[in-house]
Amino acid sequence: MAFEALFQPIKIGNQTIRNRVVSTAHAEVYATDGGMTTDRYVKYYEEKAKGGCGLCICGGSSVVSIDSPQAWWSSVNLSTDRIIPHFQNLADAVHKHGGKIMIQITHMGRRSRWDGFNWSTLLSPSGIREPVHRSTCKTIEEEEIWRIVGDFAQAARRAKEGGLDGVELSAVHQHLIDQFWSPRVNKRTDEWGGSFENRMRFGMEVLKAVRAEVGDDFVVGMRITGDEFHPDGLTHDDMKKIAAYYDATGMVDFFGVVGSGCDTHNTLANVIPNMSYPPEPFLHLAAGIKEVVSVPVIHAQNIKDPNQAQRILEGGYVDLVGMTRAHIADPHFIAKIKMGEVDQIKQCVGANYCIDRQYQGLDVLCIQNAATSREYMGVPHIIEKSEGPKRKVVVVGGGPGGMEAARVSAERGHDVTLFEAAEQLGGQITLAAKAPQRDQIAGITRWYQLELARLGVDQRLGTRADEATIVDLRPDIVILATGGQPFLSQVPEWGYAESRDESLVVSTWDILSGAVEPGKNVLIYDTICEFAGVSAADYLADKGAKVEIVTDDIKPGAAVGGTTFPTYYRSLYEKEVIMTSDLALHKVYREGDSLVAVLENEYTGAQEERVVDQVVVENGVRPDESLYYALKGQSRNKGQIDIEALYAIQPQPCLSESGEGYLLFRLGDCTAPRNTHAAIYDALRLCKDF
Amino acid sequence: MLDTLLPILFFSALALAAIGAVRRVRLWRQGRPSPVPLMRGLAAMPRRYLVDLHHVVARDKRMSNTHVATAGGFVLAALLAIVVHGFGLDSAVLAWALLAATTCMFVGSLFVAKRRRNPPPRLSKGPWMRLPKSLIAFSLGVFLVTLPTAGILPEDAGSWVLALVLTGVVAWGLGELFFGMTWGGPMKHAFAGALHLAFHRRPERFSDKQGGEGRSTGLKALRLEDPKAKLGVEKPADFTWNQLLGFDACVQCGRCEAMCPAFAAGQPLNPKKLIQDMVVGMAGGSDARYAGSPYPGKPVGEHAGEPHGPIVARQGTALVDAETLWSCTTCRACVEECPMMIEHVDAIVDMRRFLTLEHGNTPNKGAEVLDNLIATDNPGGFDPGSRMHWAADLNLPLMADKRDAEVLLWLGDGVFDMRNQRTLRALVSVLRAAQVDFAVLGNEERDSGDVARRLGDEATFQTLAKRNIATLGQYRFARIVTCDPHSFHVLKNEYGELGGNYEVFHHSTYLNDLLENGKLSLKAWKGGLVTYHDPCYLGRYNGEYEAPRSVLKALGIEVEEMARSGYRSRCCGGGGGAPITDIPGKQRIPDMRMNDVRETGAELVAVGCPQCTAMLEGVVAPRAEIKDIAELVADALVIDATAEQGTSQDEATGKARRTAEEMTP
Ligand SMILES: Cc1cc2nc3c(=O)[nH]c(=O)nc-3n(C[C@H](O)[C@H](O)[C@H](O)COP(=O)(O)O)c2cc1C
Ligand code: SF4
Ligand code: SF4
Repeated sequence: MAFEALFQPIKIGNQTIRNRVVSTAHAEVYATDGGMTTDRYVKYYEEKAKGGCGLCICGGSSVVSIDSPQAWWSSVNLSTDRIIPHFQNLADAVHKHGGKIMIQITHMGRRSRWDGFNWSTLLSPSGIREPVHRSTCKTIEEEEIWRIVGDFAQAARRAKEGGLDGVELSAVHQHLIDQFWSPRVNKRTDEWGGSFENRMRFGMEVLKAVRAEVGDDFVVGMRITGDEFHPDGLTHDDMKKIAAYYDATGMVDFFGVVGSGCDTHNTLANVIPNMSYPPEPFLHLAAGIKEVVSVPVIHAQNIKDPNQAQRILEGGYVDLVGMTRAHIADPHFIAKIKMGEVDQIKQCVGANYCIDRQYQGLDVLCIQNAATSREYMGVPHIIEKSEGPKRKVVVVGGGPGGMEAARVSAERGHDVTLFEAAEQLGGQITLAAKAPQRDQIAGITRWYQLELARLGVDQRLGTRADEATIVDLRPDIVILATGGQPFLSQVPEWGYAESRDESLVVSTWDILSGAVEPGKNVLIYDTICEFAGVSAADYLADKGAKVEIVTDDIKPGAAVGGTTFPTYYRSLYEKEVIMTSDLALHKVYREGDSLVAVLENEYTGAQEERVVDQVVVENGVRPDESLYYALKGQSRNKGQIDIEALYAIQPQPCLSESGEGYLLFRLGDCTAPRNTHAAIYDALRLCKDF
Repeated sequence: MLDTLLPILFFSALALAAIGAVRRVRLWRQGRPSPVPLMRGLAAMPRRYLVDLHHVVARDKRMSNTHVATAGGFVLAALLAIVVHGFGLDSAVLAWALLAATTCMFVGSLFVAKRRRNPPPRLSKGPWMRLPKSLIAFSLGVFLVTLPTAGILPEDAGSWVLALVLTGVVAWGLGELFFGMTWGGPMKHAFAGALHLAFHRRPERFSDKQGGEGRSTGLKALRLEDPKAKLGVEKPADFTWNQLLGFDACVQCGRCEAMCPAFAAGQPLNPKKLIQDMVVGMAGGSDARYAGSPYPGKPVGEHAGEPHGPIVARQGTALVDAETLWSCTTCRACVEECPMMIEHVDAIVDMRRFLTLEHGNTPNKGAEVLDNLIATDNPGGFDPGSRMHWAADLNLPLMADKRDAEVLLWLGDGVFDMRNQRTLRALVSVLRAAQVDFAVLGNEERDSGDVARRLGDEATFQTLAKRNIATLGQYRFARIVTCDPHSFHVLKNEYGELGGNYEVFHHSTYLNDLLENGKLSLKAWKGGLVTYHDPCYLGRYNGEYEAPRSVLKALGIEVEEMARSGYRSRCCGGGGGAPITDIPGKQRIPDMRMNDVRETGAELVAVGCPQCTAMLEGVVAPRAEIKDIAELVADALVIDATAEQGTSQDEATGKARRTAEEMTP
């Protein structure tokens, strides 16, 4: 049997897990009702269970005490009995499909924010400030320690009474337990710090109190780091010692192991490795822990593919694989393996849209799967075939919005033609994938290519559709997803001209697509601060150019998410790219063979100049509206989307009205520049009722 | 003059026939003993002929009428002619009767002749081409010589020349029909056929007087106790005498050939040729005179054998090549179709037994599969402790815990296959919905032995069977239900000889019972056109054609039947270990079967066998979807609203495809 190792059940404590695949704890940001597991929350996990996931550890960083604020990340609140009935719903929904569900419980200590909600005073062993959240804290007192130990026990009781299958104590990502462990943060000289035993004491008291409260017939696990990667932090050998120490109590039913510490931007990026990382970069750390403990070990970090998972399990490095983002991207991951539809798995590309939203306190969403966590609204993962009339659907533009529209329409059973002017699908994804370390983003396109081929969509690549071609097809529905063009004409002084020979500036697209040769001495002006600017900088530097990237914003790449800008910065600093903030591009002019860029300080108005041989401007996208206006007049709905229906995930009313001519909708950047998720979400919610 | 010539003619023909008959019987008696009740068999013979054999022949109405006229006419004419012309009994009544019989035979012969004008490729040519002429000669000749006896013509009508000519014609007819019958001519089939019916090795396959349908499809156990006994059939003489007799009954009609999936796929097997090779072998000689379609890819004339020589050569060629034997899927299409009730599959497995047990020569993956079965109790070599891994989340009740259950759910080796796990899960959810009291053996279950047995490894079969029987013997249950027709067949029909007797149901039958008793409520079918593929081991082996169809009907599905369905269903290619021995042909059997499906225009083919599912799903898209009956029922289940707390997304999207798989009601 294929994937045999994956489908071997395993016992954790008193629970049998049906396979070796775990969705590990992640802060979902869905427990919006004061930390209760809402309908959205339940449906999100039910979908994973229905999709075959063996074990879900939900509620990343769910709090046990009220001075570990839950509201910043809408995490689950286990500090009150009010949670118990909510847990019952959650447990039933997952158990109904044969899955198991546990919850991560924690006190985050200093790793939070104090400036809101209860205005809590954060606590930490030695009152040392945490850099990632810029959070200051007090030094914890003995009375508080015992209160929190008791809170852990009560939280575990609530999980058990709510019918969950276990709890995972977070001693990772620099939460309170591992704040006590780490000499980097614990400078105490009393019995809670200093010696190994003393640093272990808090965690041990928590473990003992929890076990005493829940008894033997409830799973209690621990998530730990495998190495903090800080010279003054916990090393792999320290962690082996710690794991063995707790394992020896016989009170721990499993260990989860994560590579890297987490209290700087740079280490945090390791924790949820983005697409720049190799597969399973920290497996060896988990394997090291497995050597010293007697209970199952779970490891997650860039395990995305069933074959990879099978290989890891077969190798015996760990007992269970966490495939967390893999399940955010496709909750039917296991079911598809079992259906022999491995090719249909939507594989996580490591874009980290999910986690980068989470760090901003926004609900976790997948860049490429707009149904994830919207199950409760009726946004489907599996598109039902329509029982209504078969329609002729013409989609123009093969970027993410167009590809999703074509896919969903074809799944509905319609006759779909997709036009794409370029020779390949992907739109801006194709450009994004050209940057160093960003090639994996093309996985989004690859999945669509397979799906569209499977669904028999008529793909007209290298074909620019005009009004006549479209009308000739006698479509019932026309969807425009034609994107736009780099917006270089906004400031006339930049000297942009249509003709490349005359234009003083080029776009990041010109650079990434290879349409323009990289210069030797390049200034990139990036007022957007998202991926395109830093990608172009990385690309040019990679080709040997001297690069300065300038922005009028706080810092280049400032709008790139928290787990992704560090990997850009690593690469940019290593290639000696100069990053300059607070300067706007005022004007570009030619002087002999060179270009002079005049930069103006945002705050003083002072001007300075750079003499370079290439000026690249990143100023976002200007929608391409010409085709839309050519088609709008003849369309039945005058190109309008009923936004009430759209937001309510209801069919567009015009679909059920009859009349001459076609319906016209536009999606994605050809309306207004937004992002990949926005384009895909609009396409899905619009087309799912065609 | 005729008065003198005819008796001489008749009695010498009879005498020669008698000598021939003795010689022929001697050939059969080279075979091993096989105890059958001789007298009772002879007594049953006419019924077996008139009812059972004609049941098969009558599938071709035209041919059956032809045969009734010709054969009936001949038997009557021969008897009367011996009396009238042999003994010279001068009775006008008998003479008139003889005229009538010969007329009847003559008319039949004309139809035989007509069929031979443009014979389908399945029919053998050679001597068979002259048979209609001989029939005409006999009937016409005897008719004419009887005219004077009947008083229609004067005794001395015509000249001596005419008398001589007539004598010649009658002699020709007698030569073919009396002499040829026992000396190896086409008419041998009547002689051997009649005795074959009487002494058939499987008397249970004939219907009884009460109208009970006869059936006997389980392989016969090999007696392994005697260490000196040869295992299986090495030489023609190793067959039982009545098997040899059976081979001799072959009319070379090629109905088997026309139905054989391996032949159609261009694999080197033709059941008709195989039977003829056995006929050649029992007398000794080469196949050069065989006048039908060869084994695909193997020219006629290169093989020869003798009664006490090996059928399959260890090196070079003998009577038959091993790959011919390994091409068979044991689908029984040939046996089902054979008007002479010949048992091809028994013969093939007998010969395979020798190759596997005495030579250890099972081709391709065969040896590995058998080793796996011995070491791990399953053909895939999976850890026997992992049998229940697929159901880790289902909490299936174990017989070891319950000890007593209404239904013992036999899972089969499909537990190791992800595709079949979906079927099993569906079946479990249906049984639960119907609140059936069931339990499984879990890790105590072993492979049923089906594959081992069809691959000729009788020893492994018997070991597995005995161990399963011992396990089953520990528990109390009313019946066994399984979704695997191979396990079904073996448990139902082949364990008995080893002491295991159970009431066994294929899941389609059981589900049909549940439906008829109102134990399940189903949503109406909303999908497209559906066809149904009869698994060989359910249909031809066990005669269950109705239950699956009536389950589909209950689902609101109107089955669009394939041209070949029911007892004529074309095998999927998966039986008899054929995918394991994997003998190459020109095309693949499942591809042909999916073409049959395609011709119906169906979007979905309902099946009832893990093996069929696997084979048909192996056909490249675009092709119809393949679903087990259990899956279709599970998808349509209306689950009691009280049992399901909260509306789950699967209901909301209506897509039960993945739901049924993962659902644990
Ligand atoms: C959105 C998001 C939030 C996360 N929050 C937590 C958390 O609160 N606690 C935790 O231990 N791990 C958290 N993680 C880390 C995951 O458990 C997991 O270790 C990580 O995603 C790597 O596994 P993967 O490559 O399979 O996604 C989070 C991950 C993501 C994507
Ligand atoms: S059992 Fe099937 S495959 Fe074998 S010879 Fe007969 S018809 Fe052919
Ligand atoms: S074996 Fe039977 S079906 Fe085949 S040719 Fe002979 S008589 Fe006909």
